[in-house]
Order: sequence, then structure tokens, then C-alpha cells
Amino acid sequence: MNAGQLEQAVDRVLAGDRAAFQLIVDATSQRLVRLGARIMGNQADAEDVVQEAYVKAYRALTAGDFDRRSSTNTWLYRIVVNGSIDAKRSRKRRAEASDEQVDAGWDGAAYAEARMALSELDQWLEALPTDQRAALVLQTMEGLNNTEIAQVLGVSEGAVEQRLVRARATLREKRAHS
Amino acid sequence: MSDHEDIDQRLARLSGETAALRPTSGFSARVMRAIGAESAPSFFETTWFSARRMLPIAAVAAALAVVWAVQVDGSVDDDLATSYASVGFE
Repeated sequence: MNAGQLEQAVDRVLAGDRAAFQLIVDATSQRLVRLGARIMGNQADAEDVVQEAYVKAYRALTAGDFDRRSSTNTWLYRIVVNGSIDAKRSRKRRAEASDEQVDAGWDGAAYAEARMALSELDQWLEALPTDQRAALVLQTMEGLNNTEIAQVLGVSEGAVEQRLVRARATLREKRAHS
Repeated sequence: MSDHEDIDQRLARLSGETAALRPTSGFSARVMRAIGAESAPSFFETTWFSARRMLPIAAVAAALAVVWAVQVDGSVDDDLATSYASVGFE
């Protein structure tokens, strides 16, 4: 689903078609769960956060609270990133379930490798404050530029730049001590 | 992390390796169930929305009742006035 089709699905939800929200979930859930997992370092927690984000988004759409000043993609990113930051600060880590299933047809080996990489990423970025970690993930893994990151995080571009510089400095320092 | 792998190289590698992350089976259905529970109306909402549909009918019925009551009241007054007048002439 491209951005235009996503906006059309939002139009349908705004017109009262609840089933159209399923299209939004199907089109965006992979990217949002991956984003949440990279920030939280844990897929089970990421799925909880993304589920809550969808409920918030649906509530906002049906209440007419989504002003559409940003694209739907950016708006969903913002809800998930804020939810991930809040959850990571407040919530105890949920144990990864060993029997989690991925849908049939997906490459199990690649998925297992991805989980191992996620664990490595989480251990490495553990030293960073969550807001710096989120900025770094959005830039280097999600491919957003500083303007887009500022929109998602709700801060100035200068604040984004500062977080990125500090995050890299912390990682360099960590490497020097290891 | 190898000695030659700098921060951005490592981030790029881990970005590629975590690209295969995806929701577990049934995640989409779980989300839609949560939304269904969220949007299920409460007893008060059900009563209010049902009652709200009857409001225009109730308003028209009330207006008709007022018109009918005024007409009936007026005809009673005429009857009384007539009977007083007839008593006065006698």
C-alpha cells in the first residue's frame, strides 16, 4: 500500500468505515513493530506498544482529533516512538516467548537471525538514554532525515542533532572502555 | 563488533540484519480485537444513541399535543362564554 492508498484508508475510517482500519494495520504493522523493537530491544514489548498505538490512533481518528498536518505515516511513527520511549522508561521488560510464531511463508532462518541481531543491538544501545536511542534508530535504521526525526519526536532539529551527537559520543566512549 | 567496524557500519549491519523482524502470527487480529473492545458502546451510550433517534419523533408528538391541547382548551372557553352569556340575558 503506497502513501496515497494509506491516506484513502484513513478517509474511509473518518467516514465511519471501521473495517478500513484493518487495511492501515496490515500496511503499517511490520514497519511499526520493527521500529518499536529496535527502540525497545524486545519484540514482545514492541508489539504491546504498537497495539496500544493503533488503539490510540483509532480513537483519535473516530474522535476527529487527527488534524492531518503530518502524513499518516509520520503520525503513526510519532505515536509508536513516544509509546516506546514511555514504555521503556516505565515498564519492566517482558520475557520473550520462545514459542512465538511467525506467519507461514516467512523465512524462519532470517527471522531467527533478526532476533539475534536485535539482542546485539539492544545490548549495545543499552547505555543510551531512550530519547537518544530513538533518534539514532530513526536516522540510521529508518532512514529519516533530521527534519522528519524532529517531527516524529516533537522537538527542534537542533535538539535532534544534539541527541545524535551525544549518542555517538556515548557509543565511542563505550567502545574505548571495552 | 570487529576492530575495523565503526559505529555507523555497525548500525548499518544491524539495520540489515533486523530488517526481517515482523509481527508474530495473529498480531493484526489481536489489534482489531482491541479496537473492537475499545469501540464497543457502553450501556449508557447504547441507551443515549437509541433515544437520540427518537428525539425528532418525540418533538413532533409534543408539538402536536400542545396544539391539540390549545384547541381543546379554546373550545371549552367558547362553550363557557356562551353559557354565561345566555344566563346573563335571562
